[in-house]
Amino acid sequence: MSNDMEIKDKPSVVKEKNTDEAVEAGLAKLTPERIKNTINQVLQKETGPRFKAYVETCMHCGLCAEACLYFLSNDRDPSYSPAGKVKQTIWEMLDKKGEVSIEFLRRAVHIAHTECNVCKRCSMYCPFGIDIAYLMLMVRRICHKLEITPLYIQDTVNSHSATMNQMWVKEDEWIDTLQWQEEDAREEFEDLRIPLDKEGADIMYSVIAPEPKFQAGLLYQAATIMHAAGISWTMPSSPGWDNSNMAMFTGDNEISGRIARAFYETAARLKVKKIVMGECGHAFRSTYDVGNRWIGWAMPPFEVVHALEFYHELLTSGRITIAEKFKKTVTLHDPCNVSRGRGLHDMAREVTNMLCESFIDMTPNREHNFCCGAGGGVINCGPPYKGERMINNKFKAEQLKATGAEVLIAPCHNCHSGLEDIVHHYDLNMEVKFLGDIIYETMEKKIYKPGD
Amino acid sequence: MEENKSFDWSTDLKEVPVREWEDRFTWVEEPYVSPDGETIASIVNVEEGVFTVCENGETWDKEYDKAWNLRPLPDGKFAACVSSDEEWTLSISGNEWENWFDFIWNLQVNQDGSSLSLAVQKDMEYGMAVNDKPWDQMYENINEMVLSDTGSSAAVVQVTSMVQADIEVFKNGIFSCAVNGKAIDKKFLNIWDISFDSAGKNVAYGVRLDRTKYSIAVNDTAWDKQFQSVWKPLFISGDESVIAPVKEGGKWMLYKDGQPFWNKRYNQIWHLVVSQKTGNIAAIASDKFGKWTIAENDVTWNMAADQMISDLVYSKDGSTLVAVLKDKGFWTLAVNQKKWNLGADKVFTPCVSSDGNIVSVVIERQGQYFLVVNNIVIPNGYDFMATPVISPDNTKILQKAVKDGVYQRLILSMDKIL
Repeated sequence: MSNDMEIKDKPSVVKEKNTDEAVEAGLAKLTPERIKNTINQVLQKETGPRFKAYVETCMHCGLCAEACLYFLSNDRDPSYSPAGKVKQTIWEMLDKKGEVSIEFLRRAVHIAHTECNVCKRCSMYCPFGIDIAYLMLMVRRICHKLEITPLYIQDTVNSHSATMNQMWVKEDEWIDTLQWQEEDAREEFEDLRIPLDKEGADIMYSVIAPEPKFQAGLLYQAATIMHAAGISWTMPSSPGWDNSNMAMFTGDNEISGRIARAFYETAARLKVKKIVMGECGHAFRSTYDVGNRWIGWAMPPFEVVHALEFYHELLTSGRITIAEKFKKTVTLHDPCNVSRGRGLHDMAREVTNMLCESFIDMTPNREHNFCCGAGGGVINCGPPYKGERMINNKFKAEQLKATGAEVLIAPCHNCHSGLEDIVHHYDLNMEVKFLGDIIYETMEKKIYKPGD
Repeated sequence: MEENKSFDWSTDLKEVPVREWEDRFTWVEEPYVSPDGETIASIVNVEEGVFTVCENGETWDKEYDKAWNLRPLPDGKFAACVSSDEEWTLSISGNEWENWFDFIWNLQVNQDGSSLSLAVQKDMEYGMAVNDKPWDQMYENINEMVLSDTGSSAAVVQVTSMVQADIEVFKNGIFSCAVNGKAIDKKFLNIWDISFDSAGKNVAYGVRLDRTKYSIAVNDTAWDKQFQSVWKPLFISGDESVIAPVKEGGKWMLYKDGQPFWNKRYNQIWHLVVSQKTGNIAAIASDKFGKWTIAENDVTWNMAADQMISDLVYSKDGSTLVAVLKDKGFWTLAVNQKKWNLGADKVFTPCVSSDGNIVSVVIERQGQYFLVVNNIVIPNGYDFMATPVISPDNTKILQKAVKDGVYQRLILSMDKIL
């Protein structure tokens, strides 16, 4: 990236490593015996040949360093390189056979939860394709079992466990919000519905809990798009509607699996053909790759598509037509979990070009794009770590600034929130939008009829 | 089911035109059909912000600001959650409960229709109401509501307040199981999957004791044994014992009353069902990663599905066990280990004759609904179909379907199908 694009007047390296009360309270209760037993139990009983191969194959070549947003944002400090993070966590746990100190664990929690987005970019740079994200998630699993997971993401997992959604959305609150959005959207289409529990609908539409909690307008937009496209669809009134899964990122695999089960069994109860997910990347990773497999579904039991695949289908089939293309210059962020994880990056560009007049790609892009810096549960660790996150995202800010775009499209909730933070912190003067925002803004507000 | 005897099995065809409803109302929502097939009903929008229910062309006397969750009842009536002036109640074919709430949801009906329950919220307090009687005690939150066949109700309730992100309070346990409104004097980190015994008096449920320890609790007492995870328990043997799938040493097993019950260790077992007649126990199981089968009395079926098994049901006499499954991209059924050769986009709830000799189900293929009986697809496609009913003597089947804007209640002779 050229120097003239470098963002100045902001701290260039993280000087102070924060912690929080949950981490500290957990650390205070630990005994050497519990630490040792827990680490050895996880490393010996919960790993297999895959873990062994990764640990034994790494040549410490450091090629992974160039891949990492944290390394690049912190003046190429080797302690932020992926291999450096493994060295400071898993390797030492192995070397010392679990006999590590409280101070070591404090640093391990910090690294695994706030200095790695488990974005897997480094795996593409590793000559052996070592999945360092998997190793970091193993550290998080140990932290979970030692009860030293950061406060805010743990609260999110607590919410998942009790309500099957990540934001303590009460059951009536969920339904009431859908009915409220349905009513409001009837201003545009008088017969619009958000059909609840419609058994036999073709599509179950599912979202993450921040939508009913803070961003109800996204439900409105989605309902408008579904209605205009003439889709047979439904949303569940029961738990199982939230496709997010922060337990996947804290190593609480048992709750993670329970969430995935509730999700797919809700689709089974409603007898749908397909599940369409809103614009969320980690939720896709959970339902398509992680949560489903933990409980035994090798592949998702239902066809499950991310919103951008669905938008592509609506636009190319003519179910949604664009009245007038979006005029502002846009760039596109590739969410790791649907780009590197699922290969949807070209489709995302096709959708963007169908909607927008002027698209400037960022560099690097597609599966090589940098993480937003918020994903993998990092943003969910909350306010105590926000300052560090901003510094750790400096290189991403430079990448965004270099595009000169007015609008930044981020088809993922975590990316969207994290990029909003970057845009504000680095005064980038960009507007962050979902693809759904732009579709809603540019689409013809008419109902699709076959043959029209 | 005994009540099927009272159904009209002698009239071959009854029709109700439904397309004309679309001219009468701004919109007509999805149809529901009564168990006896005599009535088809939909929520309809009369004009802006005015809703009612249309049954066989006749609207309920009352109109509402909102209506949702329409469901047929065993006695042929229909119930829906309705709202007027921002208050909600249950309306049964136009007759409202006396109690109104700030919100209602999760309508449940017991098998004979004698009890109807709702989750209710009033003044931001939560509970259940059964047959128009709200719980005496209300709580900060409610989840996992269940209604027993005897009319008892239970749910997970929040009994301790917690401010935002207070994980220490959460860790001490803020949830209890409330039965008929009274919270059991025992709190847990989490409670899931409440089961009643057949008398509706005792409850069993899955619990999490701390961040990594799970168990099964019966009323106020958790099993001594702790596990890596647990799924929904079930009362068996005349309510004397409780069984549950539990995870131990990375594998799933079936436990009974805190002790190993089945010997085999599975990758997964869940959805326990018990034949009341034979006492046989079955579960959806996986003994090889990504392959699903049925385990019956700890013996797995010689059949596998590579995507999902979603439903499992015994015939009344226990002779037949039916599974709804998805394999290689299509839904189908398996009956007593034998997979049907049909492939469908959707398979709905199967209907099994009491003696297990007949299995009938509605499927959807390329947007058309078909009736299937014992693996034979009846060729006529429909726009919509409800769950069929098999006559008590197995000679007839009641098909409930909509085609070209007309609802048809059709009695089919089994000898012409099979």
